[in-house]
Amino acid sequence: MKKLIFLRKIFQLFFLGLFIYVLWSTTYPLTGVLSPQLLFKLDPLIMFFTALSERVLLPGLLLAGGMLLLTLVFGRFFCGWICPMGTMIDITRKLRFRRRQRPLKDGQNQKARKPKFFILAFIFFLALGGVQAAWLLDPIVIIARVVSLSFIPAVTLTLNNLCIFLIQRFELYGGFYDFYRGLKDSFLGVNVHFFANSLITFLFFAIICLASVFLSRVWCRSVCPLGALYSLVARFSFLKRFISDCKNCGICRRECRMGAIKEDNQYVQGECILCMDCVYHCTKGQTYFAFKERGARSILQETERAGRSGMTRRDFLFWVLLSVPVAGLGRVFLKALKRDAGVLRPPGALPEERFVDTCVRCGNCMKVCITNGLQPIFMQEGIEGLWSPQLVPEIGYCEYNCTLCGNVCPTGALNALSLQEKKQAKIGVARIDRTLCLPWADQENCLVCEEHCPVAEKAIKVRVMTIDGKEILRPYVDEDLCVGCGICQNKCPVRPQRAIRVYPLGS
Amino acid sequence: MEKGPNPKESVAMEKIFYHLECYLKQTLSQRKFLKVFFSSLLLLLTQNIFLKELFAKTSSSNGRPKKKIATAHDLVLAEGKDPYQNTVKAIEALGGMGLFVKAGDTVVVKPNMAWDRNPRQAANTNPRVVAAVVDLCYKAGARRVNVFDVPCNEDRRVYENSGIQKAAKASGAHVYYADHWNVMKARFPYKSAMEDWPILRDAIVCDTFINVPVLKHHGLTGLTLSMKNLMGVCTGSRGSMHVNIGTKLVDLTDFIAPELTVMDATRVLTRNGPSGGSLDDVMPMDKVIASKDPTLADIFACGLMKKSVLSVPYLAEAKKRNFGITDITQADIIKV
Repeated sequence: MKKLIFLRKIFQLFFLGLFIYVLWSTTYPLTGVLSPQLLFKLDPLIMFFTALSERVLLPGLLLAGGMLLLTLVFGRFFCGWICPMGTMIDITRKLRFRRRQRPLKDGQNQKARKPKFFILAFIFFLALGGVQAAWLLDPIVIIARVVSLSFIPAVTLTLNNLCIFLIQRFELYGGFYDFYRGLKDSFLGVNVHFFANSLITFLFFAIICLASVFLSRVWCRSVCPLGALYSLVARFSFLKRFISDCKNCGICRRECRMGAIKEDNQYVQGECILCMDCVYHCTKGQTYFAFKERGARSILQETERAGRSGMTRRDFLFWVLLSVPVAGLGRVFLKALKRDAGVLRPPGALPEERFVDTCVRCGNCMKVCITNGLQPIFMQEGIEGLWSPQLVPEIGYCEYNCTLCGNVCPTGALNALSLQEKKQAKIGVARIDRTLCLPWADQENCLVCEEHCPVAEKAIKVRVMTIDGKEILRPYVDEDLCVGCGICQNKCPVRPQRAIRVYPLGS
Repeated sequence: MEKGPNPKESVAMEKIFYHLECYLKQTLSQRKFLKVFFSSLLLLLTQNIFLKELFAKTSSSNGRPKKKIATAHDLVLAEGKDPYQNTVKAIEALGGMGLFVKAGDTVVVKPNMAWDRNPRQAANTNPRVVAAVVDLCYKAGARRVNVFDVPCNEDRRVYENSGIQKAAKASGAHVYYADHWNVMKARFPYKSAMEDWPILRDAIVCDTFINVPVLKHHGLTGLTLSMKNLMGVCTGSRGSMHVNIGTKLVDLTDFIAPELTVMDATRVLTRNGPSGGSLDDVMPMDKVIASKDPTLADIFACGLMKKSVLSVPYLAEAKKRNFGITDITQADIIKV
């Protein structure tokens, strides 16, 4: 039984590694063993509340429901054994300066548990009102975004620049250069990608992790709405903790990272994440987890009754009464904050209103984007648009023959388009600024935009004009043919502002 | 039992804190302040030099040496159904690959693989032509054949979709993505708009450079020919090369001085170039042109497409400058 703690640690590291691997392989040509959609389809918080707020049936609902069923059997095993965010929090906890924290009192623990249920209720009522807010605090989304947009770029940039430095400094243009090319081809990716606001993305994650230095797993205890959802199910779980012959030494209470063990050494079932700390540290080895208690006397009834102390009926009613007007007002408030500038969304995106509610900001589309053109936005679209994807043609354009982003979206905010559909999908429309464009303003031949236009009939047409005896080829845009891929803006040689720019539709 | 801190560790920490405290408690004289101020200023100013020395090492080059190669004919036009055989026939008729590639040479084969299009859409060089050139190089004793380009679309998609990566790798060539940091600055003996342009080091530091362009339509210049294909060894802001493209491309051709030009005219994109995309714009021609002189190859290809030489800016410039063999009537041209 005591060995289980090592098994748990191995599981945690394995799943963290798997998580990073899946996101690392979320790149062209998308030949990873596991689909990156799967990570989010297994997340009931995202799946249920996106489905609820948008009134759609998502294919991930079944998988997410499966996770809840497993939780009903085993309890919050996900939080303790699988959740990559939990693993990172546990790793960070090793940094704490004082090795032993004094355990909180029962009353304090009870108070600490409550906020996450409030957050879950808030998300639920917002979803009833049609606003999906699960993405903001979902741990899987937070860590996936950090891995995709901060961690992987940082690692690839460091390795890439180290190799470049070695090659240039010591003139290793032979075998080492070939090795570097192989590395680029397989592991690093051909181009190092950068993402806007990656520091803010990272800080959001770092604060969550560092908070655990002061109180272990404080995120999981108090904030995590996914944990709250699992906790609601886990309090009825079949796998239970039993103690027999207890010497009342209190070690398990001190060691419990969730503060789930009470002063009478019984535990709050919904809070237990099966980390096996209490089993490992139990001096007499009398703590164990089982579906049925060994021996005769059962304390099952007692445990269960005590376990339901997370949120009282009074709390719940209070929150319902508070949530309904807040949810209603929240929507109005969020919409009011939004500026109407509009951004370029990836191809196949739902209409803007529905897109911001369906998108969970997991970062998959940005990670997979082959040209690095999809970037997370910060506040341009108000709070509702935070971290949602935007095409920035200056950084990268939308590849005409590429359908990757629609194929990795877990919630269908981006439709999985076929190649034919993708080629017709309009992102925006390009317009030429004739005060900047070289052939229009400076009578110089250029035509780089026309050259790059991927539409077979060329959405950029040419008007031949003779000015002062010089033949000038002047481009103009056929707005019906233009799909707004942005390659013209990307390749336009005019600086600092490009002479041809892509604008969102209807602007 | 509570474990106290390591006694050894704590003594060390105390020492550090003591010195730190002493240092902070020192009064700061004006002299000392100035000393610190100016030395840090000097450090800031000079660090740039150190960093440049460490990281920004870009060498320059005066261009590849121009070799005098005596070929059997000035230009060979090969016709036939199979592009691979056409290429082999053309180079054989020119005098064989042995004239251009010596045993142990490092060869660069520079195809036109700029667009995310498949071989049937004819926006890139036919992979069979590239494979034939690579095979001939290895037969002539080349140590290593490099195949690369700086594409206009995303590298991985282009390399794969054009079919060149697969075909050239099957022939044993090293196909890799060009590194934009691995460049040399171009220097010219005359005044040139291409002065200091970053050009791929691998394209310059090689024994033989074989240009394998594809004949196709181009919006600005009328035709994409061998000189236009050489743009693929340039990095930097390639868009701005399109202003006064004629002089720039002739300068670049002079700089690279390709030993051999093998032009693929198997399937020719006649409209909506250079990227194309529609099969309606493609005309099968089943020809391969081989020449040691890029200008002659381009002028000949111009004739195939029934375009006026002067309408192509870089050929007009070459004619003006008398760069290479510009008089097609005097050239020794055969058909095989």
